[in-house]
Amino acid sequence: MDELLSDFVAEAREMLAALAGEIVAWEADPSDRARLDAIFRFFHTVKGNCGFFDFAQLEALSHAAEDALSEVRAARRVPDAAFVNAVLAMIDRIAWMIEAIDSGEDISTADDAELIAELAGASEGSGEIAVGAEPSGDVGFANRSAGALRSVRLPIELLDRVMSGVSDMVLARNELARRIGDLPEGVGLDGPFNRLSSILADVRDAITRTRMQRIETLFTGFPRLVRDLAGELGKQVLVEIEGGDVELDREMIEIIRDPLVHIIRNSIDHGIECPADRRAAGKREIGLLRIAARQTGNQIQIAVSDDGRGIDGDALVAKAVASGTLGSDEAERLTAAEKILLVCEPGLSTADKITAVSGRGVGMDVVRANIERVGGNLAIHSTPGLDTRIMLSLPLTLSIVPALTVQVGDQRFAIPRSYVEEIFHVDPAGANLLRAGGRTFLKVREGRVACADLGATLGMAASPIKGGRCMVLVRLTIGDPFAIAVDQALDHHDLVVKPIAPVVMQTGLYVGTTQLEDGSPILMLDMGAVGQIAGLTGEAEGRARRTARDEAVEDQAAGEVPVLLFIDLKGRRRAVRVGVVKRYEEVDAAAIGCEGGNAHVVIDGAILPLAGLEAGEVPSGRIEVLRLEDGASEVVFAIDRVIDSSAYSGALTAAEGRDLVAGLTLIDGEAVEVLDPLAIFARFGAQIAPARQPVCRIPAQDAWMQDFLRPIVEGAGYLVIDERAGGEADVSISLDQADGEEGRLADKAPIVRLRSTPQADPGGEGSIYRYDRQAVLDALKAARMRRSA
Amino acid sequence: MTDLVLIVEIAGERAAFRAGDVQSVVELESLTPVPRAPAYVAGVSALRSRPLTVIDAAAALGLEPGKAGLGGRKAVIAEFDRFLYALLVDGIEDAVPATSELLPLPGKLSAQWQRVALGLAETAAGAVLVIDARMLLAGPEARSAA
Repeated sequence: MDELLSDFVAEAREMLAALAGEIVAWEADPSDRARLDAIFRFFHTVKGNCGFFDFAQLEALSHAAEDALSEVRAARRVPDAAFVNAVLAMIDRIAWMIEAIDSGEDISTADDAELIAELAGASEGSGEIAVGAEPSGDVGFANRSAGALRSVRLPIELLDRVMSGVSDMVLARNELARRIGDLPEGVGLDGPFNRLSSILADVRDAITRTRMQRIETLFTGFPRLVRDLAGELGKQVLVEIEGGDVELDREMIEIIRDPLVHIIRNSIDHGIECPADRRAAGKREIGLLRIAARQTGNQIQIAVSDDGRGIDGDALVAKAVASGTLGSDEAERLTAAEKILLVCEPGLSTADKITAVSGRGVGMDVVRANIERVGGNLAIHSTPGLDTRIMLSLPLTLSIVPALTVQVGDQRFAIPRSYVEEIFHVDPAGANLLRAGGRTFLKVREGRVACADLGATLGMAASPIKGGRCMVLVRLTIGDPFAIAVDQALDHHDLVVKPIAPVVMQTGLYVGTTQLEDGSPILMLDMGAVGQIAGLTGEAEGRARRTARDEAVEDQAAGEVPVLLFIDLKGRRRAVRVGVVKRYEEVDAAAIGCEGGNAHVVIDGAILPLAGLEAGEVPSGRIEVLRLEDGASEVVFAIDRVIDSSAYSGALTAAEGRDLVAGLTLIDGEAVEVLDPLAIFARFGAQIAPARQPVCRIPAQDAWMQDFLRPIVEGAGYLVIDERAGGEADVSISLDQADGEEGRLADKAPIVRLRSTPQADPGGEGSIYRYDRQAVLDALKAARMRRSA
Repeated sequence: MTDLVLIVEIAGERAAFRAGDVQSVVELESLTPVPRAPAYVAGVSALRSRPLTVIDAAAALGLEPGKAGLGGRKAVIAEFDRFLYALLVDGIEDAVPATSELLPLPGKLSAQWQRVALGLAETAAGAVLVIDARMLLAGPEARSAA
């Protein structure tokens, strides 16, 4: 009997748990038949089960509910609000009874007549019923909730109040800590204070979790938004949403709502073309918009991508130069990625016309500002004509940041503790310091790290880095660690960091501001920006890197030759004069080609000679390159990686027999080969003229080729033409055609044959399965070699 | 216009904010400078644990900035776009009802003032130049939206 009873309780509980969602949905739409049926089944099952036991009250209740619901199912009764409330009250009462039965209490004392009467008469407009009303019986509350997961609904304002209360408690705790520190030892406060601290940490943790919300709550509105916008603009857009289960601080969700909506509007309005244009461009008529969220560590990444017309970086540059936001000399130095980021400059937009949907003026600059205001950042990737990808990286929460406070001059700053690896003092004699090329390096255990003075970086009074200085070793998420000299490292604090006005955030140096326990305001530094401004982050993106280089050049003491130190593909330490280096970037190995023993690479649509490779050797994956220039032409030098900017002085030691090397010097105590730009340009620079972009012919009518294949072929450095275009092609591609069928191709270009089936086709000898990317690329390369031979 | 205006002194001249633009007048206790921020940003402070961006009103006009630090200056608190700002002014005269609508300016002002000027208002304390607090916050580079 006991076993049967516990089975009954367990089943009822299970059904109640499953019903919880149905009830809420039914409440929203009482005419929803499926939900109604589910609730009806619940009462029916309970009633049936009661037959085995002697639970008269429970049976009476469920019977009454079942009756009432069948009236509704038979459409003899309309479920109004009062009826819904009565049913909900009934469910709650049954849940209570189940718990009471489980704890072995007597439920016969409960008086349900009123509930039953309410349900029977509910539709006649009777009074209110308190949902989940406590019965008058004397079942203990504690017993009742045993074993059951319960949830409550709370107004968000209440949660916010609790959160800000907890934040204030943390501040008060901090002040208390300071006061206790001032007291003489042994007053016996340490124990209770530590207990308070750990409880507070738990509470903070819990309350932070209550504020987390699935990003789904934000995403669910997007399909509708996209549908409406697309309809308004006469476009067809398919939305794909991914990662809705990623959780994010509720406040953060609110903050990114508008920026995301704006990005989506932009994508549909300016990105995705109208069906006719898409057809003409060889794309599917339906545009694809993807919104995806991912959590990586303590960051959330949200990507919005579309397969529309992309962002035209050059048009942006032209606009920026025309409007005076950008100098024309500065414009020439921008990388492709930087050009696209111009879309975030105030007042720039490539849209030719103003539309009702995304308008003009208020644009991506506002989006970026809003994202950066909460310590996030925005990146845009786009291939003109193909796609646009906008990535937002956001911190998980806005709440409390553990921080280190430091003193510079008479001012204090906070540094997020997660970046701080170590705090130490330079030995008094300064023996571990090394000055080279206008930089100071510090030996930390095995390695050397670049240093900068925080005061100087911030434009305050600078003080030299010397023996005895206090250093903070900082490690960012990417790149080498670096050290920042401060006057004093003060203390660890838990700070409630708040965003501050745009005019301050625009400096890019600060994450926000907060108050110390004594109430004084303090700025929290963005260590990434500090590193960039100080020129310490070797792998920082574009502009900053170049700025650092320019400054390094200016800082150069007389007689010193500034160089960029790097490791070449054979692992040798080499250096090249900074003045020769136009840019440092990464290229896809697919863009590298070899013709007659001379390598070249396609960058931004131009074919450039490539040095630094062994003859005949073609790397794979992505490789780093230095773009060298002599003012008129350009040579690309493939390298393994850049170490740092540095300098040498004095004459070079001759290096006989070493190719392209001007001589040897010592940098940081190690021998370094310094490249001879004259020799490099003499040998490689001359190739520019004969090198010509290879041409590949692809049938214009074949949608698969145009959509799938063409990007790969173009990525490999080919100019793509179709059969209608005149001129010689270096190679043609055909799909599913036997040897000889391509007769209509006039020229004698070698043909790469593709087939649709993975199995080798006996008829099409030498054909390649069309999704075998590597084989296709190899064939393209081989075909060209044959041609040029 | 029967609205209140707050008459203040900036760079030795009288001017007034519309009372609707400002929240309160306070004397700040602390000021933390912001390195590398534009010169018209005097620093940051806090008001009832909310961050406060402190603007030197004279510098924001493009005039000679006031002395560094607070120097006993009063701060006019205003909120725009959910951020709190404090405008440091040389003095606070009074909050008085305007007895007239905003009147067009009888002539051209100096460029710095022209940019932020809304018009003249008659008050019991005489006619005053009413200026736009939001324009002032945007700093000397900002151009009028009009």
